[in-house]
Amino acid sequence: MRRPYSHLLYPLFLAFFLVPLAVLVLYAMAPGWRWPDVLPASLSGRAFGFLASRSGIIARHMGASLVYSLATTGLTLLLCLAPAHHLARHTFRGKAVLEGVLLAPALVPSMTFSMGIHYAFIRLGLADTMPGVVLALSVFSYPYMLRALITGFQSFGPEYEQCARHLGAGWWMRLTQVELPLLVPAMVAGGSVVFLVAFSEYFLVFLIGGGVVPSYTGYLFPFLGDADRSVASALTLLFLLVPVSLFLLVELLVTRAYRRRGMY
Amino acid sequence: MRPALHTVLKLAPVLLPCLLLFGGGLALAVAQSLGLWLPFPHAGAMGDAYVALWKGHMADSFLLSLRVGLVSAALSVVLGTMLAVGLWRMPAGLQQLGVVYKIPLILPHIAVAFIVLVFFAKSGLLSSLAYHAGLIDRPAAFPSLVFGGSGVGMIMAYVYKETPFVLLMAYASLKRLDGRLLDTAHMLGAGMWMQWRCVLLPHLAPALHTSFIILFLYAFGAFEIPFLLGESKPGMLSIEAYNLYFQRDLSFRPQAMAVLVCMFVFSLGFIVLYMRAVQRFASRRPGAAARERKL
Repeated sequence: MRRPYSHLLYPLFLAFFLVPLAVLVLYAMAPGWRWPDVLPASLSGRAFGFLASRSGIIARHMGASLVYSLATTGLTLLLCLAPAHHLARHTFRGKAVLEGVLLAPALVPSMTFSMGIHYAFIRLGLADTMPGVVLALSVFSYPYMLRALITGFQSFGPEYEQCARHLGAGWWMRLTQVELPLLVPAMVAGGSVVFLVAFSEYFLVFLIGGGVVPSYTGYLFPFLGDADRSVASALTLLFLLVPVSLFLLVELLVTRAYRRRGMY
Repeated sequence: MRPALHTVLKLAPVLLPCLLLFGGGLALAVAQSLGLWLPFPHAGAMGDAYVALWKGHMADSFLLSLRVGLVSAALSVVLGTMLAVGLWRMPAGLQQLGVVYKIPLILPHIAVAFIVLVFFAKSGLLSSLAYHAGLIDRPAAFPSLVFGGSGVGMIMAYVYKETPFVLLMAYASLKRLDGRLLDTAHMLGAGMWMQWRCVLLPHLAPALHTSFIILFLYAFGAFEIPFLLGESKPGMLSIEAYNLYFQRDLSFRPQAMAVLVCMFVFSLGFIVLYMRAVQRFASRRPGAAARERKL
């Protein structure tokens, strides 16, 4: 039953989700906007000029964030493939409990394990390094990847794999030619969440990276408290741009690859 | 190969990091809270840190964290569910345009906290509107929503950030529900309330319970939004732990770890108790077996 007035809800959607963004755009364009003006008195490109003058340092922080987020996504994917396959295909005693334990790192406060591990990382020389940041981020973001991959494996059943095995395909061929292509939607879904979690994390990167590993959130943070909100607004908008364009790119590549293989 | 060994080998890629890093981190936190393995010799008995917490103002911090977590998770679940059902009922074209709801999901928590400041601070947009409406004459006259000590600012930030998460979960679940069930219920004379209670909510319950647990635990233990929007006295538990760890001298390290260990234990206990309560509640109602399977 599609109610005739159901489309009236849409303006509410726009108001709730888009208006804050529109306000950020206005702030970015109006550095002098102050209380009690409801709309800015004058517009200027000063905030964007500031960004342009700092483009080198911003690119360095953005690049580091991209590197550790993508590395985290790749590492969690690599770690979760075999376990997800096993959890989706087999039953064994204590499976429910084990699955619960494996998902726990995403649920319980991440501060507890991260501040504990910080001391070990200092001793091991992993603190203040990029690999240390990637490891710490992976520990509390892999459950999203594991969950997505288990659902992915369950969605197509073991028949494809068996068929390939009967036709004489070895495990490597089965993995690369049969399972991974079928698993792409699940990998994209899990990867998007892991990337977002890693890319927008502030505290863990600050703690384990110790300010030595640059990060975009770390660069953005001091600006958020400024009385003049234009630079923080512009930087926040710039932040949105990265994941959005990355998701669009992945979507485009996946659709093209699928079409070339004739899977759609 | 024996099945058990096969299982262990196949699961090793996540079991090892989980045990070593997550388990190791926890073990180190517990040990340090007891005064062991500290970078300096610890003076005092094993449980000193916990006793000190008990005597201090930690109870207020705990209650604040609990309130912010519960209120923000409950509001997000209610709002997200209503929006999800609304989106599900929209014409197909509008449903596609509805993806704007994902914007707060992409924004980092610190940016959402910033948006709350922009709107609700004493010199924010709402304050400007109130001035033009003749309600206040200076910024200071605007009610302290953000740093007032009540946690309202943090709750607003969490609700804005987490509502789309509930929407995502509930909408995905609704996609698997045949809309004609509602038509049938309507034709059989079920009103709005009856349709929600007997068709929509039982179907959505598993997704909503999962969302509530995730959101409550996140808001209860997270650091970033309280760091930007929080009050200092009492502070959220995460801020108290941070201050004890970074702002005070090394002898407060066991106390910082004790706060973190308590947060962890409480979170685990909450998950277990909540799941048990849900199961007990579900098994009392008719048709429980069907719902049990979904859970």
